[in-house]
Amino acid sequence: MLSGIPDPELPVSIVDLGLVKTVHVEQSVVRVDLLPTWTGCPALEVIAKDVESQVAALPGVDTCTVTWCYEPAWSPDRISAEGQSILKAHGITSPGCCSEAPTTIPLGTSFIACPYCGSNETRLDSPYGPTRCRSIHFCESCRNQFEHMKAVDLEP
Amino acid sequence: MDAMLADPLAVLVLAHADDKLLLGHVQSDWTGLGPLLEEDIAASAMSQDDLSHALILYEFLGKRFDLDPDVIAFERAPEDYACCDLVTFPDEFDWATSLVKRWLVAVFTGLGLERLGTLDDADLSARCDRIMPEQRLQVAHLGNWIRRLGSAGGESTARMQAAVDRVAEVTGTLFEVPGHRLEEDETYCCGRDDLFTEWNGIVQATLAEAGLTGTFTLPERSTVGGRRGTHAGHFTEQLTEMTEVRRVSPGASW
Repeated sequence: MLSGIPDPELPVSIVDLGLVKTVHVEQSVVRVDLLPTWTGCPALEVIAKDVESQVAALPGVDTCTVTWCYEPAWSPDRISAEGQSILKAHGITSPGCCSEAPTTIPLGTSFIACPYCGSNETRLDSPYGPTRCRSIHFCESCRNQFEHMKAVDLEP
Repeated sequence: MDAMLADPLAVLVLAHADDKLLLGHVQSDWTGLGPLLEEDIAASAMSQDDLSHALILYEFLGKRFDLDPDVIAFERAPEDYACCDLVTFPDEFDWATSLVKRWLVAVFTGLGLERLGTLDDADLSARCDRIMPEQRLQVAHLGNWIRRLGSAGGESTARMQAAVDRVAEVTGTLFEVPGHRLEEDETYCCGRDDLFTEWNGIVQATLAEAGLTGTFTLPERSTVGGRRGTHAGHFTEQLTEMTEVRRVSPGASW
């Protein structure tokens, strides 16, 4: 059921994105522990409300509460294969979908294969992209800009 | 609230949280005005990060002293805020000043949180560990811009040097001992001299790469400034604006 809840800022579900840490069920009370991609993500409240209202509406469930957890820190490794391929189709790469990419991105350069033409001649435009979890890259080969699900711990 | 403000460790955590709360709000004035789109977005994103980091630290204090984190953030008396005068130093909408100020604070906060994370408190360590990667990216990103603009020559270098000169005098306020309700021997300084030496080493290395110079000094332990509740800059205006909704409509939510 959580697989049906999308991230408000990405075309994938919170399960495919790897946000779900654990689900505790005690009788009719459900507690869902989630991991934020970045701690300052403004979508956290929307996601928590979506989960709480939709889980509480399930038969046999009285209440559902969401807790945001800081351990372990989310990383793009948590994105499922399905999630990676959906993101790539939308022009957003993630470390797992490009074999050449290191898990961390040295600032100023990048080794991420362009999601449009596959070229490795790409560079990092800005580590701070349109949402907290994405960086912006440019492909020198096909001259397209694309986004990447960045690892939280970028190398300086 | 009184118990928290009389606790040396809590006051040290508050100093970092308040720096981030104030800086996040002050810097958000730039949203939409950044000199180029990517940096407008990056600066706004870093402000969001600062506010979430402040919340993570207020939550720690909230759990420990049974207080609502929002009450800690927005309902203290002005003299009980422990942010330093550098974060409330007016940048007069000069991008170089904003950049230099944010970078100097970011390096300090990174080192401070690293130290807080080593203290014997599992909850505090976990919180500092979660903030640190995001903090390191701030330090790296801002440092890159210091190097890029400082070494560009001409007007760019001149404006960056002027910015360093402008903030140099208030930069030492980062290292003031926090907490006006604590006696001096009760303060939790967490290796202040060593912190300053490490911070200055990092800052001087980057400035040298950028072709800039700056001299910063560690203030006397007895110095009283923002960290001990005697604020400067636009602290008062900022606090008034930040708390307006809560004062007009207590308990408002949206």
